[in-house]
Order: sequence, then C-alpha cells, then structure tokens
Amino acid sequence: MKRTRGGGDEEAPRQNGSVGRKKGDPQQSEADDGGSTLGPADLQDDDNDPGLRREIRSKYRDLINSVQQNREDMLSPSNNKLTEVLEEANKLFKDVRQAREAALDAQLLVVATDLGKEKASQLFAEGTAFDHIAFAERLLSFMGLNRLEDGEDDQQNRGGIDGYLPKDAWHRVARRAESCFMTAPAFHYMMGSFHAEPPPPKQKIERQRKAPSKEAARIMPTQLKKMEGSHQEATEKEVERILGYLKSYYQDDPTSPISYYEFVIDPNSFSRTVENIFHTSFLIRDGLARMYLDDDKLPCIAPVEEGEVEAGGSWSRKQCIISISPKIWRELIDAFDIRDTLIQPQNTQTE
Amino acid sequence: MTQRKDCPNSHSSSQSKRQSGNLVSQEEDDDSTFTQPSTLQVQRGLEKLTTAQVDQKTAEVVQYFLVKDQKKIPVRRADLVKHVVKDYRNIYPEIIKRAARVFDQVFGLKLVEIDAKNHMYILINKLEKVDGASPIKSPANPKMGLLFVILGVIFMKGGVVRENLIWNTLKKLRVDSGEKHEEFGDVKKVITDEFVRQRYLEYVRIPHTEPIEHEFRWGQRADMEVSKAKILEFMGELHEQDPQSWTQQYKEAHSVPSSTQPGTSSQR
Repeated sequence: MKRTRGGGDEEAPRQNGSVGRKKGDPQQSEADDGGSTLGPADLQDDDNDPGLRREIRSKYRDLINSVQQNREDMLSPSNNKLTEVLEEANKLFKDVRQAREAALDAQLLVVATDLGKEKASQLFAEGTAFDHIAFAERLLSFMGLNRLEDGEDDQQNRGGIDGYLPKDAWHRVARRAESCFMTAPAFHYMMGSFHAEPPPPKQKIERQRKAPSKEAARIMPTQLKKMEGSHQEATEKEVERILGYLKSYYQDDPTSPISYYEFVIDPNSFSRTVENIFHTSFLIRDGLARMYLDDDKLPCIAPVEEGEVEAGGSWSRKQCIISISPKIWRELIDAFDIRDTLIQPQNTQTE
Repeated sequence: MTQRKDCPNSHSSSQSKRQSGNLVSQEEDDDSTFTQPSTLQVQRGLEKLTTAQVDQKTAEVVQYFLVKDQKKIPVRRADLVKHVVKDYRNIYPEIIKRAARVFDQVFGLKLVEIDAKNHMYILINKLEKVDGASPIKSPANPKMGLLFVILGVIFMKGGVVRENLIWNTLKKLRVDSGEKHEEFGDVKKVITDEFVRQRYLEYVRIPHTEPIEHEFRWGQRADMEVSKAKILEFMGELHEQDPQSWTQQYKEAHSVPSSTQPGTSSQR
C-alpha cells in the first residue's frame, strides 16, 4: 500500500499516481535503512517474533479505534489529527510482515479514507462552509428561546442547556418556512363527509328487561309518592282489586279460559273500560297475570300461580300495545255479547 | 359505460419497462401490464366515447388525486389505473392531460410526475407565494418547520449528509430522536418513515458501515416543491449574511432552470 508520504520500498511499487518521494534517494528511505542494516538473521527473528507481531497489531487497532472514537474531533478543519494518524500508520507499516497485520492496515485505510472524504466534503469550497451547530443556535433565537441569565437551570430543561423554548416555537419556524414550499393545500370537504352512526346497540334493551322486576317494586312507590296521595292509592288499590276479581273468576273454573276482552270491557262505560285495561296491564307487567292466545287466536288472561314465576323473569317477555276506540269497543261488545262488566266499578271512582 | 369492445393493452407486457422482478409486488404487476397507449390508440379510443363520458372519468381522476393528496403520499399510476381509470386505460394519456388542465385552471395546482420510472404523481401549488407571511392566517403545520431544518441543512451541506449530523442538529433544537417529542411524537418515525414515504426525504443506507448508518438526501417531492433560493434567503436572514456569500449554494439555487426546481413547467 502506497501513501503520499513515506512508504516502504521493499514492496513492489504500487503508486496510484501519488508522488511520494524521489526514487533515486535511498538515504531518506526509512525502509531501505531498515532493510539494509539488518542482517538476514535479524529479519528472520523479526518475522517470527510473536511479541512484535502482537504489538504491531495492537498498535493498529489503537489507531483504528482512535479514528472511530474521535471522529468529530478528526473532522474539524482546525487540526491535522487525521494526517498524524496516517503518519503513525506509515511507520507501523514498515514492520508489517504477515497477512494479519496487513489486513488491519487495510482496515485502517478504509476508515481513514472515509473520514478523509467527509472532511473534504465539509470544506466544499471557499466561503461556503456551513456550520450546522451555529445554524441551530440561530434558529433557537428565532424560535424565541428565552435564555436565562444564570447557567444552572430549572425544571423544564435537559441538563446544561439554558433557556426554554416557547410552546409555539416550531409554529414560528413553520410559518416562516412555509414560503419556501409550494405545497398544494390539502383538500377537505367543507362540511365533512357523511358519517353513518350505527343504531344504538341492543344491549340497552336487555338491561331494561332485567331491571324492572327488581326495580318495579321500587318504582311504584316512588311514582306514587310523587303523585297525590289519593290517586296513588287508588291505582294501587284498583290493581289489587282487579287481581282479586281475576283470581276469583279463575278459581271458579280453572279450566275455562277467561277472555281478555270479556274481562276488561265494561259495556256501560268506555272510559272505565280503558281504565280496566290500564290497571290490568300492571298485573301483566308485574308478572301477576299472563295473557295468551287461545285456539281461536283470541286473547285470554289468567292469574299466575305463586311460585310459578321467579322474580327477574326467566320467561320470555313480550310487549304489546293495545289500542281501543269507542267504535272498536262497541264492536267488541257486539261480537262477544258482553252484557255485564266483570270488574265492578268502585263507588269512589269518578266517571 | 364504455362502448368499445375490448381493451387492447390489458395483457401486453412486451414493452414493459420494469426491471427484472424478484421484488415484484401486486401493484408492480398491474403496472407492468399497463403500457402507455400510442397516440393512434388514444385517438381511436376517444372516437368511441362521448365527451360526457371522458369528462366524467376526468372528474373522477381529479377527485381521486385531491383526496389522496391529503396525506401527501404520491399517487402511483398503477393504483390510478386499477381503481379509477379502469376500462378507460386505452385513453389514459388523454385523461391525464385533461386532469392536469383541470388542476391548472380550476385549482391552481400542478400535476407532476416525480418518478418517471415508477410512475408516481404529486400535486404542487402553482401560485407564486406572496412575499412575507401568507394572507391566510391558518395555523402552520409545525412539521413543515422540522422539514425545513432538515432540508435546509442537507442543502447547505452539499446535498448529502450522514444521519448523525441531522440527529445532532435536531438535538440542539431540543428534538431528540430517542425520546417522544411534545410536538412531533415519535420523531425518528416521522423523519425516516413519513417524510420518506411522502418523498420529501431519501434515507439510504451507507454500505460498509458498522453499525449501520444512513444518509439523508432531498426526496423527489422536495426537488419539485421546495425552493432552494427561498431556503437560502431564510438562511441569510438567520445568519445575517448575504445569501450570495454562500457561493456554491447560491449557484445551485439559482442555476439555469433544470426540470427539478419549482417554478418551471416540467410536465413529463
């Protein structure tokens, strides 16, 4: 391996265009001196002395490390450290005999060349040097860095750096830098896009189903508390009364189903019919009575035996809405031939 | 919707310009089966379509671009053909031409092919920026500030820098690639992934480095979208120097308009 300065002559000349020294000047050639003054016996010893070999290799490794560790340092244009390393390597090279050492030498050359290339690119040309660290400092000032007086610093900083950046630091830079960019403004629909929301989940319904049986007992009282005393008690009493009627009619003939319409309809008063339907619905809701369709698909109602239904209703619950108008009421009366009401009106009821 | 019988180009791969493909992905396959139709083919194709049909297809392409551009990821020709142009691929050049005209006249944008080999397009702003702050008081995207720092340093340093130089510069600016940043989050990811995918930066491995190191360069989008002259101007302001004092950089920023600087019409 030839370098621009020095270099052993014992190698076959491999000058890559580098000038080096004049060929006809043996006295200044270190290698020649070394080579000519040592006798053959000495050469042999040097070649095989493992201690010397190790030493040379170790020195090479040191050089390589120093280049790698002190990279930033070596890059600085203010010193010649890289050149010094190369000179060191030159001196070492004359003692190189074996392939192992030569390989290390080659490795050092790769590392040094790399660094050399970077150093060269740093220079770039006269007057175009750009110090990125100085740039960063100037930018910090531009961002509005608040440099505090004393060196030691407070909560917000990484150790050692003084001052703190305002929150909009990067926004300031961006605003100024925007003019350097010909970015197309991002296109967005003014009113946003259509975003379909899924229908409310079914879980809500299930929860409501399970809760009522527990809360029903509670709900009734709270509602009743809110209402005027007479109304509440009246409804409650009425519901109980109707339950009583239902049970007694059922007990009269357990096998014969009670027609729902016959039960609730009062042929003498439409409004009382509606009230009956209203009160009966509480029985159904509370699980005290059940409605079902008979063979003719007509609704029937029957009380629920105690113990038949557990609180919380493992039975499937269905909801239905019953509507009635005076016309339908009259039609039902005719159809079922209802002469008399099964639920006797209370004396205190108002029409 | 189209009246012609069959597409003459859908299966021809003889003129494929793709390089040998052990890296062939699905998209590249599609692209390789798409060859630019000849002018004659385009003419013939146009004859069989109504103006309304061509306009409709052009409008679809315009819309596709506008939405895709939100994330600033370049649009690949393969995707465009596969998802939008579809059966109209035989008049593809005409559609692109019309779309570019729409962008130009309606939106003030330029449709640019930043990669002639892989056929990728971006949209850039045609309108000259008013000197000084923009009249629109919309909040600036801080990432643009970050990008400016990186692109600025790369440019001032001759066009290529080792990644450590960038990380060190940013560290000085309180942006640590190893930590989560208040404004930018995962800084390393934003820089080496997002900016690279948007083609603002190139992040390439340097061979023979142990441990692995990369170098940063300007990306194809930056070449089109970012003005070196304006960056130099800002640098001048910051350093209180005349931009011309950086002779090499000044020369490069104000060189004879190559097709790589914004402000020139470079429709390839």
